[in-house]
Amino acid sequence: MDAAAPPALPNPLREGLVEERIPEPAVMVIFGASGDLARRKLLPALYSLTRDRLLPSRFAVLGFGRHALEEDAFREEMRRGCEEFARRRPLDASVWAAFARNVFYQQGAYDDPAAFQRLKVRLDEIDHALGLPGNRVFYLSTPPSAFAPVIRSLGQAQLAPRPTPGRPFARVIIEKPFGVDLDTARALNRQVHEILDERQIYRIDHYLGKETVQNLLVFRFANGIFEPIWNNHFIDHVQITGSETVGVEGRGGYFEQAGSLRDMVQNHLLQVLSLAAMEPPVAFEADGVRDEKLKVLKALRQIAPADFDRQVVRAQYAAGSIAGRGVPAYRAEPGVDPRSTTETYVALKLFIDTWRWAGVPFYLRSGKRLPKRVTEIAIVFKEAPHLLFGKRTETIRPNVLSIRIQPDEGIALNFGSKLPGPAMEVAPVSMEFRYGSSFGVEPPEAYERLLLDCLLGDSTLFTRADEVEASWSWVSRIHQRWAEQTAAGDTTLPGYAAGSWGPQESDRMLAADGRAWRLP
Amino acid sequence: MIDARAKFERFARGEALTVEVGEIERELGSLWQQASQTSDSAVSRAVLWNLVVPTRGRATLPRIKALCDELAPAVPVRAIALCIDDQPSGQPLSATIESNVVSQPGGGRVVYSEEITLVGPPGAEAHFGAMVRALQVPGVRTATLWMDAAMPSSLLARELLPVTRRLIVDTASCGRPVELRELAALAAGALPRPLADLGWLRLGSFRLLFAGLFDPPVGGAPLRRASRLTVRYRHGGDVSALLAVAWLGLLLDWRPMRAAEGPDRGMRFDFERPGGDPIQAFLIPGEAACDRSAILSIELTSGRDEYVVTRTAVDQAEVRVPIAPPKTVKLDAASDAELCVAALGPRGRDPLFARCLAYAARLWSLEANAAGSLR
Repeated sequence: MDAAAPPALPNPLREGLVEERIPEPAVMVIFGASGDLARRKLLPALYSLTRDRLLPSRFAVLGFGRHALEEDAFREEMRRGCEEFARRRPLDASVWAAFARNVFYQQGAYDDPAAFQRLKVRLDEIDHALGLPGNRVFYLSTPPSAFAPVIRSLGQAQLAPRPTPGRPFARVIIEKPFGVDLDTARALNRQVHEILDERQIYRIDHYLGKETVQNLLVFRFANGIFEPIWNNHFIDHVQITGSETVGVEGRGGYFEQAGSLRDMVQNHLLQVLSLAAMEPPVAFEADGVRDEKLKVLKALRQIAPADFDRQVVRAQYAAGSIAGRGVPAYRAEPGVDPRSTTETYVALKLFIDTWRWAGVPFYLRSGKRLPKRVTEIAIVFKEAPHLLFGKRTETIRPNVLSIRIQPDEGIALNFGSKLPGPAMEVAPVSMEFRYGSSFGVEPPEAYERLLLDCLLGDSTLFTRADEVEASWSWVSRIHQRWAEQTAAGDTTLPGYAAGSWGPQESDRMLAADGRAWRLP
Repeated sequence: MIDARAKFERFARGEALTVEVGEIERELGSLWQQASQTSDSAVSRAVLWNLVVPTRGRATLPRIKALCDELAPAVPVRAIALCIDDQPSGQPLSATIESNVVSQPGGGRVVYSEEITLVGPPGAEAHFGAMVRALQVPGVRTATLWMDAAMPSSLLARELLPVTRRLIVDTASCGRPVELRELAALAAGALPRPLADLGWLRLGSFRLLFAGLFDPPVGGAPLRRASRLTVRYRHGGDVSALLAVAWLGLLLDWRPMRAAEGPDRGMRFDFERPGGDPIQAFLIPGEAACDRSAILSIELTSGRDEYVVTRTAVDQAEVRVPIAPPKTVKLDAASDAELCVAALGPRGRDPLFARCLAYAARLWSLEANAAGSLR
């Protein structure tokens, strides 16, 4: 295809079709294609999008990996992945056959210029054979150490030219973690910007693709009744929980370097927090939303050394039981140092220094080997100013609005209600909305939404460079403080039994404020 | 497809009730309580729509019921079926109620749907509007599913439209294209309410595939130069074929000039493209395996190039454009309940349909005038 060909005239037949936002034909190149993410998430998401006719009819996937793999073997591996993990199951044989015809594989090293020249030739061949205009999405599903080399190689091979109107697009999706602290995130941003324009970069945090996370914005800004009470006059505190039942699942080496603060808080939980706390954007478009999120991240109050131990709890799981089977302690996991001080649990109390949130604590917790896999935001409202019901008030609890991000995505509001009968007994009841129940359909997978958005050039649900740096700036100070404590010989790390809701220190942090963690 | 994994439990009251709104609500409440008693966890109720379904004859009720049952797991509704009894037994207006409880994979249960069926003798339709107003779940939108084109249109216009927020019709129920004009008039009276058509939604797969032929890099240029359009359809699918031509004619700004009989007892329309060049459209009936959309192929000639979507099986089509090899793709065939789900969602708010319906009715007037008779 001639990349300088004039742009095609608009297609008038798209008017009125729900699939109005069909991306332009493109090839998606997945670096790290032989890895788990491609098999479990990316290809299943692309298949489901194809099944739902949300991808253009001319679309190809090219897997790029370090391992030698026959193209048919790659397709077969991906078919098995789709069979197991795709939302639209069982696979439709004819849809899969058409999809798989345009799935290709190429071996190469991420820093080998010759491999990228071969990649360029291959992409041109695919364009020619399928009548594609030269649009590319490069998905970096590689170890973080390969991000910079891949982007450098793309630049050297002239595969990712900066955006020019009327020319084919080249976009790059970068998986997390984006850096391991503020310095490395800044360095990576610099390296990436040497080759790419910020508009080409899609830093993915799959939490933002979840329907409930997006619904949080709708819930807040499309309903008149919530926003007026979404502030320190009515809200007592906010709890954000991201709990996992799994341990390190064979990734002990990675987790030793990461820990829960890097693995969950810096990205997922702070992103969710920024959406829950942000001011209304002027428009629902990429920079409008991201500007407001950034303001929240910049308004996070740094934790003073004197308050550190009262506002930060870290812990590590000991042996225990999950779902009826015994599980080992973190230090007994393969790939983990038997004297490791890496946190598998972290709880934080933080404040956002804005008028809206002045004085409202946000409690965040994330941990591995907790009893239940759940991510939720709980908005706990202040109690009624005067309680009328005497001794029965002990059963009256504050109203809680809980927004469940996973699993069973939905929203529940708890309030007190009189129990039927002659006595004035009050019991908490829950009014629940669940996606699966109320709409009868399970929401699309987060990766489906995000891949589609990238193909459409919509970066609203992706993280911008300044957001990443702002979150690292806040998180890195905690790491720094931990490093200082360790250097001073303080290596105590509370433990918690696998299958419990975390260490007592975490409960005590809330109890000191007269509050308690919810049991989600 | 609607999730069939959901497990149904049906709770029904044994005999018909007198039509007293308070009693109907009480009985529905007791069914809800009954469902809760058989469950360890609370059974909650969800309603996204009040769905009013007018119909004629008790024999149609099982079909309506089956539709509501299939609909329930996907869209929780309070269905209000209004039936004019074709064999009046001298009984006054009566009601039967039922609720469908669906077990969730996680163990929780939800009352997804409540069905209220009102049956009355001819003339009872005068009471239906008031009954619907009284039985609607407050604060929830009401849709009217007008599937029987032969129902008295006064019922819709006078009794139901005032409470209807979305009108759903089925152009496939028009046995003859002349009925399309009547439906178009009825639909025009419903505006500005969103108007959905199950027939239009059945065309969705084909429209989507055909539209996809002109996405970049092809773009819309060949459409501007089109000189001939052929729509092949299964016998009896005249209305569907007409809607397909209307869709293209409307979006491409073709001006209808004249109509004539086409090959194989089909139809031919002459249009003028913007700029004055002519284009002919041929609607050719035939026989082949097909779903209820009745469309077998859409072929557009532009210069020497052909842009074609051809059905190769009930659920499969081949797409052909000059710049790429032919490709086989999946065609979705949806049940009526699935189409209703779509009609109650964003696809049911497609303003293009009302315009296409009016355009198709105009085409049919041309054809009728040319042929001297209405099919």
